[in-house]
Amino acid sequence: MAVLALSAGAQGGNDTSARVITDTAEYCGTLATRLAALPGSHREPALSLANDGMRLCGNGHIRTGVAKLRRALRAAQAQAQ
Amino acid sequence: MSPLDTAGLPAPRPLGAWASLTRLTRSAGFRFALLFAAIFVAAALGFSAVLWWGTAGALDRQTDAAVRADALALVERWREAGPAALAEAIEERIASDFENHSLYLLVGPSGRRIAGNLDRWPTAADSPGAWSNETVVREGNRAEARLHDVDLASGYRLLVGRDIDEKLRLRDLIAEGLLWSIGAAGAFAIAGAWLLRHALESRLRPAYATAAQIAEGDLSHRVPLSGRGDEFDRLGDSMNDMLDRIDRLMEGVRGVSDAIAHDLRTPIARARAKLEDALASAPDEAALRAAVEQGIADLDGITRVFQALLRIAEAEAGARRAAFAPLDLAALLADAAELYGAAAEARGQTLETALPPRLDIAGDRDLLLQAVANLLDNAVKFAPAGGTVRLAARPWLRGAEITVEDDGPGLSPADRARAGERFFRADTARTTPGSGLGLSLVQAVAHLHGGELALADAKPGADPPGLKVILRIGHA
Repeated sequence: MAVLALSAGAQGGNDTSARVITDTAEYCGTLATRLAALPGSHREPALSLANDGMRLCGNGHIRTGVAKLRRALRAAQAQAQ
Repeated sequence: MSPLDTAGLPAPRPLGAWASLTRLTRSAGFRFALLFAAIFVAAALGFSAVLWWGTAGALDRQTDAAVRADALALVERWREAGPAALAEAIEERIASDFENHSLYLLVGPSGRRIAGNLDRWPTAADSPGAWSNETVVREGNRAEARLHDVDLASGYRLLVGRDIDEKLRLRDLIAEGLLWSIGAAGAFAIAGAWLLRHALESRLRPAYATAAQIAEGDLSHRVPLSGRGDEFDRLGDSMNDMLDRIDRLMEGVRGVSDAIAHDLRTPIARARAKLEDALASAPDEAALRAAVEQGIADLDGITRVFQALLRIAEAEAGARRAAFAPLDLAALLADAAELYGAAAEARGQTLETALPPRLDIAGDRDLLLQAVANLLDNAVKFAPAGGTVRLAARPWLRGAEITVEDDGPGLSPADRARAGERFFRADTARTTPGSGLGLSLVQAVAHLHGGELALADAKPGADPPGLKVILRIGHA
């Protein structure tokens, strides 16, 4: 995914082009907040997924981090059902 | 005389480049090959178009369907529960978007951004209900997106879309693959076309080579057949049949020329001798005059023989078959009978006729009249004084059967077999005038009309047995 992201298109954006704002470290935080609100977030496997996700986001691997956090969310939701 | 190569064919003259090109485009083999190549390439393009529609086209249709369904669901949410619920639904979707392809944007009446993962409204996506392809920026890189502008009431606007960058790259991959395969198809088309032309040429070469050799003058050649019995073999077969017929015709012509040279040399020499003799030793003008008149009569006789030979040759060549016309044979025979009735009367003979009122056939009137005249002439000539000649006719298959009978000496079976030969005269006929061409013409006319000539005793066992000549003429 990261390789694809690097090879896609030219660097930098046109000023008038819309920007996707969920590929940022801030969104990692947003997801973490949503996750914390769910009861299943403190159990496995959501917990370790969330920790992995936040670690990746912290190391600069935003996309993989966001993906992990999304999986953690789904795991937590599944637990709740 | 052109130089010959090792195959015995005339070597082709060296051509310039332009002449070679124009000769190539005129070649039927080349045009067939070109047609094959064109069909092949058209088929390849057709397959490619279908494949494209099924793959890249399907990807596009899938994306649009997904966006449309998503937009409908979100509009439902908006109708049920208003903007706040819609915003939450959008955030929920973004949070669960594992493929990371979905794009949403909800703006309020003042253009204020309420929810979604785009930071601003794309400039071009500006009419409600419209679909557009835009460039968005992801992590500093540009990516293509498919966007659908949904109009909500109260000045709210919703944008639903998908990141199609990966799909576009897949599409490019498919396009590249198709282009390569079309290129390969083109190469196959050219190779196949070349092979086709080569195969066509090599199958046609035997016929062409044989024709070239015959054009050079050697008629003994025939087209070699491959034994497969295909269309080219049939062509070769027809050519060989044609060449056999030409051979036979030329033999016939040679034979006639030989016969003319041989058998007319004598009468011509005799006529000349008589005139020479008269010139040298005629006692008076009256005798000279008589000799000249005799010379004219002799020459007329020779002319008649020439004409008879020509008619036979024509009849055998089949050239007059094209001029066949419907005619009433009974009327023709009645005419002939009238003609020879006088001759028969002069010899005290009776000419009987047994003809139907009408007998319609198709044929050559002149030749048939000549043939019947020959038969009646023979009959009257060979029947004894006071004898009877009988002319009868009746329908036979799709034609007619003509019978001429006399009570003369007849012909032995051995002589009957040779009766159709040109210039043949039986021993019993040595004393009667005639060139020996009569029956050969009758036979040629019979064959021309698809029939036959048969000879038999008029009264088997009687003495003399007489001769019965049966001339059958079938369909032409």
